[in-house]
Amino acid sequence: MTVAAEPALSAPAERLRERLASAPGGLRAEVADRDLPTIEVAPEAWPALARYLRDDPGCRYDLFLDLCGVDNLKRPGQKTRFEAVVHLHSLSRNEHVRVRVPLPNSDKPSLPSVSDVYPAANWFEREAYDLYGFDFPGHPNLHRLLCHDAFVGHPLRKDYAPGQRWFFAEEDLRMPAWSKDTDVRAGHFETQTISIGPSHPATHGIIHLVARLDGERIVRAETMIGYLHRCFEKMAEKHHWNQIIPYTDRLNYVSAMINGVGYVRTVEKMLGVEVPERGRLVRTILSEFTRIMDHCVCIGANLVDIGALTSFVYLYQNRENVYDLLEACCGARLTVSYVRVGGLAVDVPDDFVARCRGLLESIPKLLDDVEKLVNNNRVVRSRLSGTGVVTKEQAVAWGMTGPMLRASGVPYDVRQARPYDFYDRFDWDVAMARDGDNFARYLVRLEEMRQSLKIIRQALEILPAKGPVNSDDWRVVLPPKDAVYHDMESLIYHFKLVMEGVRAPAGERYEWIEGANGELGYYAVSDGRGGPYRLKVRPPCFPNMAAFEHMVVGGTVSDAIATLGTLNIIAGELDR
Amino acid sequence: MSGVVDVSRRVPDRLTFLQRIYLPEIFRGMAVTLRHLVLNLLDRRRMPTIQYPEQKRNYSKRFRGKHILKAREDGTLKCVACYMCQQACPAECITIVAGEHPKIAYEKYPVVFDIDMMRCVFCGFCVDACPKDAIWMTRNYEMAFFSREDAVFSIERLRESKEEVATHGYGYRPYYPGDGTTPPSDASLLPVVSGSGERDTLRREGVVLPERSAGAGPLNAPSQAAKAFPA
Repeated sequence: MTVAAEPALSAPAERLRERLASAPGGLRAEVADRDLPTIEVAPEAWPALARYLRDDPGCRYDLFLDLCGVDNLKRPGQKTRFEAVVHLHSLSRNEHVRVRVPLPNSDKPSLPSVSDVYPAANWFEREAYDLYGFDFPGHPNLHRLLCHDAFVGHPLRKDYAPGQRWFFAEEDLRMPAWSKDTDVRAGHFETQTISIGPSHPATHGIIHLVARLDGERIVRAETMIGYLHRCFEKMAEKHHWNQIIPYTDRLNYVSAMINGVGYVRTVEKMLGVEVPERGRLVRTILSEFTRIMDHCVCIGANLVDIGALTSFVYLYQNRENVYDLLEACCGARLTVSYVRVGGLAVDVPDDFVARCRGLLESIPKLLDDVEKLVNNNRVVRSRLSGTGVVTKEQAVAWGMTGPMLRASGVPYDVRQARPYDFYDRFDWDVAMARDGDNFARYLVRLEEMRQSLKIIRQALEILPAKGPVNSDDWRVVLPPKDAVYHDMESLIYHFKLVMEGVRAPAGERYEWIEGANGELGYYAVSDGRGGPYRLKVRPPCFPNMAAFEHMVVGGTVSDAIATLGTLNIIAGELDR
Repeated sequence: MSGVVDVSRRVPDRLTFLQRIYLPEIFRGMAVTLRHLVLNLLDRRRMPTIQYPEQKRNYSKRFRGKHILKAREDGTLKCVACYMCQQACPAECITIVAGEHPKIAYEKYPVVFDIDMMRCVFCGFCVDACPKDAIWMTRNYEMAFFSREDAVFSIERLRESKEEVATHGYGYRPYYPGDGTTPPSDASLLPVVSGSGERDTLRREGVVLPERSAGAGPLNAPSQAAKAFPA
């Protein structure tokens, strides 16, 4: 598709084109208007473009959000078989942009690494190498990330037969090359390499940290993940749009509701479906409760790791109470599967508002108790203050979002930067701190929980007492059961939806919301069938974890444990 | 309206002398935990924990537990083996084999209806997909088994039993009492069209069955049809 054939560009895309045209040396890049301004560039020009997009004062796309591959083998009409798709965000101008890099046809398509421009790209490139077999010349550590080292092939390629099994034995484990070297320092004993994890109580899920220790200080580290990789994205390609909802629950299983909301919003945007106000408000209320729950788990588990058990119990009490509310709404506590494309599975129970108000009463009391136990506790302070420090520049360079970024002094919150649903109608503040250490993250999360309560209180005020929660577009939402049982026409709609799925028009869409850990993005490509052609999740804790191996260097092992706790790694989301 | 709140200095940067010598803070902390202990002892209903399995949690009427297959008045399963739940299942855990029922009114029936409970994710999509009100869920969540074979529940274990419903109660279902849904008519209570109603007898007698009337429900509006099946 050429730019000339496109209708007039929207203002941001037009501005971007002018900006690129005025670049010194000339950047051969085309700008088109999709759901986001989309730049198309050849692989050779990509690093120069990346550098320009980051540094040019008129662009300043400083936050690297996502890089993923797309295989067009079964989607005819595209320029090349493989393409890399990058999403960037500009913090100063509050804009997203997409860069598409079509890759020349080859069995090992290659594009230069930009991990020197955007450190956050490091792991995303490794992931694309692993799942698509893209080569990234110039990458410092191009190894498999999500699949194990004995894996053969690249699973997200369309010609990879799913269902193959690759046996992994212990001797197949690739340890970093430096971990085998001995390193004897003059006048000092030799350093030693240890493995923390994969199965360790402090790793919260299964994460493997290889660390070289000099005494108790970490001098070098590398994280290995993928132990919980369940091929979410490959599974998504085999299912209908609605059938993926239970899978999204298992991404970040601590805040399952938010994942579902983020996912169905993407599909709804593709379809152009409008969810009634009541449905969206219920989603907002439950998402905010889920956010509180997620922060409770993060703070609670972090405090347990550093030896404070009591606050954990009080925080988990909140979580249990929120689970009760979720279970009353949808019938499950952890894996809620409550949302549907176009609305919710069922309307909330009659006592929903009363239950929410009860929680609004009980949660702050327990938070107060936790603050009394923790805030001025000397042990907690000495473990958390000044450890795991991330400066503002580092946080941006590593692509961090959410509480991690906000604790380092960047008040970027999707709910305020690009208000969705009703967030612009509520009176609430984005919590931020400046120190960037573990204690700052604790404070930010604590304040976010209180702000979430504030949002819920206002959402309950404007929640209509009665009314539909689902769209009445029967191409998307299952008709009411009464009609299905007694009316042939409704039964046909029902049948078409169940058997063929919702049909999203061909195209692509990136939608993002504020997850509990940061920007949760879904990039969906549809070819017009009942399910996604490609679905990429931008898991917020993935860039955080990528930075972990840099953050721990210079600190002690016990600091690393405290830092891992405040990163809030959810292995389900990290490994997908 | 909305702004940014800086929490960096919400908690004093430096601890006071009293906070640094541990003891006063320890007592303050113990006051919090003691308050919880005493209040919980005085009022056991406040206790957040329960003594499972002697004591069980009371789940909502929407709880997604073990599935049951609903039966008609005459004891045959309402399921007509239409495969919609099998298709809707994201975990691909339902296996159906359809057979032709001797009674014409029942059309098809499931010869095999298996749910692999090891694969099942209890999302309730099968309940949503069923057009015949044939599959519900209960609040039964105690389904431990010792082998993979035992995990595949067949019709015998899925058929609704009075004892199971009495013990656990219904969970997630397509409609709830009072939401205005009329369940589909029970085929076993309908008058027999002709003769014995047996398929083979009817065939022998050369009976031509009456046409079903087209529905005239709320979704029959032409606009809705145009949306669903664009030309």
